Amino acid sequence: MSEEQDILHSLVQELRRGTIILGVLSQLSKPQYGYSLVTILQERGISVEAGTLYPLLRRLEKQGLLESEWDTNEARPRKYYIISSTGKDIYQKLYEEWKGMMTSLEGLVHDKGDEDDGSD
Amino acid sequence: MMDLIKRYIYAVTQKLSESQRTEIEKELHGLIEDMLEDRGAHVETATNQEVEQVLLELGPPEEMAARYRGRERYLIGPGLIDSYKSVLRIVLYSLGILLSFAYIVDFFTSSEPAGELLIEYFVSLLNGEIQAFVWVTVIFAYLEYRGTKQVPKDAWKPYDLPIIPDPATQIKPIEPVLGIIFSLLFFVLFTFSIDLISVYRWDESLVAIPVFAQAAFAKYLPLIWILTAIGILQDIIKLIARKWTPQVVVVRVVFNIASVIGAIILLSDTTIWNPTFMDQLVQAGTLTPGNEAYDVVNSIWDRAREGLIYVIVIIAVIDTASVIMKLFRSKEGKTVLTK
Repeated sequence: MSEEQDILHSLVQELRRGTIILGVLSQLSKPQYGYSLVTILQERGISVEAGTLYPLLRRLEKQGLLESEWDTNEARPRKYYIISSTGKDIYQKLYEEWKGMMTSLEGLVHDKGDEDDGSD
Repeated sequence: MMDLIKRYIYAVTQKLSESQRTEIEKELHGLIEDMLEDRGAHVETATNQEVEQVLLELGPPEEMAARYRGRERYLIGPGLIDSYKSVLRIVLYSLGILLSFAYIVDFFTSSEPAGELLIEYFVSLLNGEIQAFVWVTVIFAYLEYRGTKQVPKDAWKPYDLPIIPDPATQIKPIEPVLGIIFSLLFFVLFTFSIDLISVYRWDESLVAIPVFAQAAFAKYLPLIWILTAIGILQDIIKLIARKWTPQVVVVRVVFNIASVIGAIILLSDTTIWNPTFMDQLVQAGTLTPGNEAYDVVNSIWDRAREGLIYVIVIIAVIDTASVIMKLFRSKEGKTVLTK
């Protein structure tokens, strides 16, 4: 049983990995710092660990999808991220891809009847 | 409980490149403070348990650092590990065989006590194997390091796939490895212990009658060394190519020609032979002059010296023909495949 759960857990992690990027990009039209983003995403039902998100934000910045700025006015310095114009462009296309995948998958999962005729 | 937090951040940033460290340090600090505050605690006043909980949520520092790096680091990565293993195996085995041969030669030639020789052998074996292991590893680690820094290679093309080796043209690694060992034995024998090439006779004590005149032979040593070097080079090329390609065949033919030339230069000088060989045989009581046996051995001794050149030439010709045949056969196979 626990082995089954492990397998399921790792498969879910794999599925989630790509969707987190979409979730992050969707929320960064306004500047956010890492932990505020964790909270927002969790409130909306996208569970992401801070230990995953922080490195991801840095990577997306390096790839030019995000821009960042340190805010030193608050009690402690925080790094705020906002989506760049390249990021916006890529986000739109990525979202279209995601929608396309969802539609295709829905088709595969629900319309089994058609497939059964074709196969074999 | 700042101490635990600092230790965590240190453990993560230690594993990152210098350029990233300061910023990630600042970032992690802020993150941990945020997480503590989210739990209603404050950095200055947080309890051990609260800090522990937050750090447990962040996970082991190695994994955290790996996520920041974004790629795996290897001393020798999956792309190189197979060739690393096979090279390491060949090097360690051949070194072991070589040192064992050297020990056997030493055992028969050295005047040192057998016990000391054996200890020396084990020490040199251990030493040599460790050195070989380290060097092979260092070279491969460098290749890995350089490989990860390199710009992406040209796109892979199916035509780049290596041809399935044809058993007829394949070279088994053992062949060049043995070749190198024999080349080195040959080198050691002629350079250091040419007196071992003797006719032995047990006559109360061991009597050795050398075949060669050591002093006259010595001036041809550079020739022997050049031939050994070409021979070893040829074997190394075979070891790398693992099959008879045109280049390998060319090198082999060059080696054969060099061997023949070397043999002719060496053997056409009659002073390299022990001038008193026959007399010494007589003195040792093996032969009596005027006897039929004496005449037979004498004529063999005279003819062998000339005949040796022909034997070497014939071997070289047969060998050259056979490797060219191998190449020709593989060419034929290829054209059949493409038809």
